[in-house]
Amino acid sequence: MKSIISTRSLSLFLCFFILPFMSYAQGNVSESYRVETIEMLKGLAAQTGGIDFLPDGRLVACFVRGEVMTYNLKTKEWKLFAEGLQLPLGILAVSNSEVLAMQLSNLIRIKDTDGDDHADLYENATSDFGISGNYHEFNYGPVRDKAGNLFFALNCASSGGGVRAVVRGELNKLGRDGIDGHKEMFSVVPYRGWVMELTPDGKLHPIASGFRSPNGLGFDLEGNLFVADNQSDWVPTSSLYHVRKDHFYGHPASLVWKKEWKNRDPFNAPITELDKMRTRAAVLFPQGIMANSPSQPLVDMTNGKFGPFSGQLFVGEINRDRILRVMLEKVGGEFQGACIPFIDGHGMRIANNRLAFAPDGSLWIGQISFGGWVGGESGIQRIIFTGDTPMEVYTMSLTPKGFDLTFTEGVDTETAINPVNYNLRCYRYEYKKKDIEEGVDVATQVDVQAVPIISTNLSKDGRKVSLIMNGLKPGFIYELKLGDIKSAAGKLLGNKLICYTLNKLRT
Amino acid sequence: MTQLMGTESPDINALPGSPGRSGLFGFNRLSLVLLALPPVMFISCQEGVSTTVSVSIKARVDLQYDVVRFKVKPGSKVTLTLNNTSDMNHNLLITKPGARLDVVNSAMKLAEKGPQMDYIPNSDAVLWSIPIVSPGQAKSVTFTAPTQSGVYPYVCTYPGHGFIMYGVMYVTPDSTLPDIRNDLNIPESRRQDDSVKERKDARTQAVPNPHPYALIPPYLYHVFIEGASPAAIAVHLPNDLSYCWDAGTCRLRFAWKGGFLDMSDLWKGHFDASAKVLGDIFFRENTDYPIRLGENATVPIVQYKGYRLVERYPEFHYTLNGIDVYELIRPKSDSMGIIRVFRIPHADRKVWFFANRQDDAIEYEFPAGHFKDRKLELSAVEAKAFTIIMTSYYLAYKNKEQ
Repeated sequence: MKSIISTRSLSLFLCFFILPFMSYAQGNVSESYRVETIEMLKGLAAQTGGIDFLPDGRLVACFVRGEVMTYNLKTKEWKLFAEGLQLPLGILAVSNSEVLAMQLSNLIRIKDTDGDDHADLYENATSDFGISGNYHEFNYGPVRDKAGNLFFALNCASSGGGVRAVVRGELNKLGRDGIDGHKEMFSVVPYRGWVMELTPDGKLHPIASGFRSPNGLGFDLEGNLFVADNQSDWVPTSSLYHVRKDHFYGHPASLVWKKEWKNRDPFNAPITELDKMRTRAAVLFPQGIMANSPSQPLVDMTNGKFGPFSGQLFVGEINRDRILRVMLEKVGGEFQGACIPFIDGHGMRIANNRLAFAPDGSLWIGQISFGGWVGGESGIQRIIFTGDTPMEVYTMSLTPKGFDLTFTEGVDTETAINPVNYNLRCYRYEYKKKDIEEGVDVATQVDVQAVPIISTNLSKDGRKVSLIMNGLKPGFIYELKLGDIKSAAGKLLGNKLICYTLNKLRT
Repeated sequence: MTQLMGTESPDINALPGSPGRSGLFGFNRLSLVLLALPPVMFISCQEGVSTTVSVSIKARVDLQYDVVRFKVKPGSKVTLTLNNTSDMNHNLLITKPGARLDVVNSAMKLAEKGPQMDYIPNSDAVLWSIPIVSPGQAKSVTFTAPTQSGVYPYVCTYPGHGFIMYGVMYVTPDSTLPDIRNDLNIPESRRQDDSVKERKDARTQAVPNPHPYALIPPYLYHVFIEGASPAAIAVHLPNDLSYCWDAGTCRLRFAWKGGFLDMSDLWKGHFDASAKVLGDIFFRENTDYPIRLGENATVPIVQYKGYRLVERYPEFHYTLNGIDVYELIRPKSDSMGIIRVFRIPHADRKVWFFANRQDDAIEYEFPAGHFKDRKLELSAVEAKAFTIIMTSYYLAYKNKEQ
């Protein structure tokens, strides 16, 4: 047997490990942001289902074993606010003495009415949706719009489990595929796979269908609702959807609860019919590359306290030590745009499930390890902007002939206009019922092509590079791998892989 | 890169199990055979080798390898088969000692190249590998174990899996392995569940408090539990009593004496898990619905409103045909049953409370109203607040026996 490390392989080792690591470290994300770990209360299983900030600045968080706790940022004291919930996966602060929490059985309004900082009133805000008792019928949210309407999302059931002997809600067997149902996600009780709206009159309205595991809702600054969905047996890579009333987003199980569907079998409907009905993702997260399990989208409303990305969305990723950033634009009247890692590593844990901005503009992250299939370590961390602007792609915008890349800082002309630093390819993911033999998480890129850059052009202000190319095609993801571009001041570009979802061409 | 390494590893074989992927495995320095195999089938890949240790590892649905550790003798020939019995994709990489996390992180840094490289980084820290195996498929790798004793991790580097899906190959001439309970080379969740005996021991041990505060009855959990709708609430009372109140149907479902609940499966997120009752169920409600509003009234339409904690006891609030009803349950001081306190503040007609059919061993006491034919009749005034005391003859007898 050969020795484990030969001289040559040592150099290869350096080449493959040390160098990327060094360039990674030189990218100035590490100087611009730092990750801190919040000390959790001893004895707490800190599997974080939801986080938010109360008006007085305290953090409120809920955990898998049912606790709702507050954390005083100044005194670093944890305090129990409520308990006994079942798998709460979302929390929304209403006032200093009131929160809404989304647990398996209902949206629950929890109040401290006697002023002892411990809840004594647990009101059912709504339970007008079904539960089959399947372990995978998670509920996410709520988020609130400016008019006071609440939105939450209902996960489909998983073929990994069954239904219980007693269910809540009408059972509709058409919501589970009769042929391949042992593998696909299903919706046999009302509104599984839907986004719901609770209006202030207490009425619950199913508003949009076609979701599989919509683990995260959020608004942009203009009040548009975005929902991140996990890839599935139909939409093969994870997605960020702009959610609108009566739209359908691709996973057919939930269609059985749509009146117009008239109780047909959704799983064996012609794919062309489903494809025509569905609204495409504003942003696709390529599987195994960007995210496998995106969580909550959260808009940067810190006005610069958290760095240069005001108005953009951050999205958590459950499968690794990553927070993504999403930049959107309207093309042909619809949102589409790009995703890019915002921060990887830096001491951040994996399973980044929930996000919230603290009053000081730091980004808090709730992490969850659960069920064996959601890995890592649970807890809460926060990301702090140090004030040193990172050298990053600020926006990627479609033009009639290519893309404009605007950077957070003025660029070094030589590296920024060198076409070698722009490696572009495109591919798509096919919308179809996944083959029964294929793994549920298999996402196959099809029609993969390299896209040559014809020219690069730098704007006068030195921040924007226009890339020109031929033959842009709708329905493709454009994956751009950037080279060692530097800022004018010599900072290396931080994140270099960016994926633009091109639904519509710019005319 | 690959070519260079390839010259170092002349004995590479890429067989039909990995069409078009042979170049990716150029860094493997020992003979490597990839075969699409039916499950549980081992093939010695080289002529003239007398003994091959066969190790079959299954990828489970819970992101774990079923074999979390095994041992081989230094220099022995090993055929390792990964049989994917889960519904996700998995690979298996054996790394140099201590290199698991480095390899996992390198796999993630493959970024857009990950999918076509089977998430196997070009790295000397990867000793042998089995590429992505689809659900229901199996692939193998054959290699000669290092002559140097050591602890060689194996791990799935599919993004996100590597932090929890791993195990360890002990290369050692010894016949024993370290105590699994203290084996830091395997995932924490696997440090006890591989032997029935250990599981038994764990069951008899005192369960540590699952919360960061003292659990003093009364307290409750929302749960999935047998015998109720999936919107059940279980309440633990003082005096070792507990009950399950069903928020889906707005009624008491059952009550028990003894311990409270085993929540472990439910909290772990196990498929189809339920909270398990740790005690003797002495009452199970079996009426169509226990309350009727008005003469000859039918089963009312129920709506769940929530609960308020009154001296930490939940007082459930629901409506029957739109009329508010409140229900609070306390333990009997003799521990033989429960006291149910109802309030219907806006009662404007007679109310009936139906006891169970006569086939249970419960003695009912009614401080107010008129009980006849298993029905308690209450005037509108009496219904504004009434109490039902339920004593279990079963518990009383059981208690005397002890």
